[in-house]
Amino acid sequence: MKIWLLVLLKLAGVLALGLVFGLITGRIALCLLIALLAYTVHRIWKLHRLVHWLRQRNYSNPPSLGGMWDEIVTEVLRLNRRKRYHKQRLVTMLHELRDSTAALPDGVVLLNARGEIVRFNRMAAEMLDLHGRKDIGIRIDNLLRQPEFLKYLAGSDFSSPKVLQTSTAPESWLSLHVLPYGEGQRILLIRNVTRHVRLEAMRKDFVANASHELRSPLTVITGYLETLAGDETVNEQFGAPIAEMRRQADRMAGIIGDLLVLSRLEAKEGEVEGEAVDVAAMLALLRKEALARPRRPASVTLTIDSQHRLLGDDIELHSAFANLLDNAVKYTPAEGNVAMRWWTDEAGAHFSVTDTGPGIPAESIPRLTERFYRVDTGRSRASGGSGLGLAIVKHVLQRHGGQLDIASVEGRGSTFTCHFPRRRIAPPVAGSNTGR
Amino acid sequence: METTDLSQHISSRFNEDLEAVRANLLAMGGLVEEQLRKGLGALTDANSALAGEVVRDDAKVNGMEVAIDRECLRILATRAPTAGDLRLVIAIIKAITDLERIGDEARKIAQISLRLATLEQPSDRYREVRHLGKLVEHMVHSALDAFARMDVDAALRIAQLDRQVDEEYESIQRQCVTFMMEDPRQIRRMLDVSWAARALERVGDHATNIGEYVVYMVHGQDIRHRNIEDVEPRPL
Repeated sequence: MKIWLLVLLKLAGVLALGLVFGLITGRIALCLLIALLAYTVHRIWKLHRLVHWLRQRNYSNPPSLGGMWDEIVTEVLRLNRRKRYHKQRLVTMLHELRDSTAALPDGVVLLNARGEIVRFNRMAAEMLDLHGRKDIGIRIDNLLRQPEFLKYLAGSDFSSPKVLQTSTAPESWLSLHVLPYGEGQRILLIRNVTRHVRLEAMRKDFVANASHELRSPLTVITGYLETLAGDETVNEQFGAPIAEMRRQADRMAGIIGDLLVLSRLEAKEGEVEGEAVDVAAMLALLRKEALARPRRPASVTLTIDSQHRLLGDDIELHSAFANLLDNAVKYTPAEGNVAMRWWTDEAGAHFSVTDTGPGIPAESIPRLTERFYRVDTGRSRASGGSGLGLAIVKHVLQRHGGQLDIASVEGRGSTFTCHFPRRRIAPPVAGSNTGR
Repeated sequence: METTDLSQHISSRFNEDLEAVRANLLAMGGLVEEQLRKGLGALTDANSALAGEVVRDDAKVNGMEVAIDRECLRILATRAPTAGDLRLVIAIIKAITDLERIGDEARKIAQISLRLATLEQPSDRYREVRHLGKLVEHMVHSALDAFARMDVDAALRIAQLDRQVDEEYESIQRQCVTFMMEDPRQIRRMLDVSWAARALERVGDHATNIGEYVVYMVHGQDIRHRNIEDVEPRPL
């Protein structure tokens, strides 16, 4: 039977009892009132016991109140059990999460929208010298004060980490990566990259030293070959081999030279400051040199659409532009054209070289600036390039905040364009005539 | 500690102003730390390019000092802070002066290293000066950390380090004099080395001052010109 029916029956019983007494005593109303009052007082007493039990928060010994009250008690107990179960699960999960972040080899610091430290793991404390709970709520930029890091944190470009040395561990290099999430919150990921930085430095040093060491023996070989070439007592049948050896020795010297240029470019950090370089004049000179070559395309043209100068390193820019022109001239057949153009616009300054050479297959374009990458092994070896030209161009442009754009159609020709940002543009030389 | 918590003001703009000016002070501190590190690097590695950078960037330090000073005056004039807030602003005004001086000393070291770079580098790369430099760098770093954390204990420890700095400075001076007497041709170089050590010793003093401002800021207690032993932080 339903509980509520039972309760109703109970009430009816009480009323009936009152009625019977009323009939006996002849005061029906009073007896009914007393019966109801007694019933209500009993209810209130039970309610009081229930509230008392609930207040105690001790769910172990529930009162037995009977009827619907027991229903309520069981329900409360059930709810409480469920709550406890979920809480337990959450706590376990949190502990697991905390323990797992603590076990991470990387440092993790959680920051709120105002940049204050919310939470960090053990590695982070070790690497950044954080002092446990005391440091929670302190702004991260108050403790990590390197100007470089402050600039990185205040900026909006978090695509790559910032690698720097901290004053707490001067010998090691840390990579600090900010990862924004949620509403302005950020994760700061800290990694020790000392080994990586050292290896990179060793690699650079190795290339620079190796090229340097190779140069001296090569100079000796080239010297003797020159003497042999001019010596008439040498048997005539060695003429051709000696000429070939001299060509190859020159090529090797070229490669070593380019390697040295590259390693020098790599050794310099950050963007060049530089002075204003008169690009128009530099290009005119380069064109003259190209025209003076014995093997060259039918026409090499130069269009100067701007007399603006470029802020940068004279020598580096010259080597980049010369490399681009050299490639164009080398790969364009005798009846083809090479066109250079220098112009400025809203986006910045630009230099392009267009040739009517064989073009580059689309799949090769992204790999073109890799060192020693050859589109077609046979062809470029024959022309005697070092395979480092475009790598040099890329590095020079990087140091000038610019980028290289390559467009090519196979069989029709290619266009190499250097883009420089606006901040690199310098006004033209005073007194020079604009336009031609 | 009630002074650490700046978030009690009814006006949240005020909080932000105080937070911002403190962050600016510490950013300036970061720049000065780097100047000092670079200056020492220039000295020990005979790196004139680095020395040039330090000399050039000193203007940045000075610019920050002026900007923070102006900001502090603005807060004093418009917000009329009291108690802990007032002490914070006062401490910042004092600390920027010391930071600026540290910046000047770093520039001095860089200029000395420009001169020394033209001479032959000694094989020990100025080991004593390097050691003193490390110690002083650590002091500046701890002083700024104490400022960020409002950590009185750490601030008091800096004053103890300063004695060590003074001892090292003395020993470098003695050494320089010995070298000069041994070989008069070395006088020029040794004078420069002793000037660099002197600059570092001054940096140590300024770092100690910043530590004292931290104590003042947190406890409202002026501990300048007193022995550290007498200044045990009194219970609040």
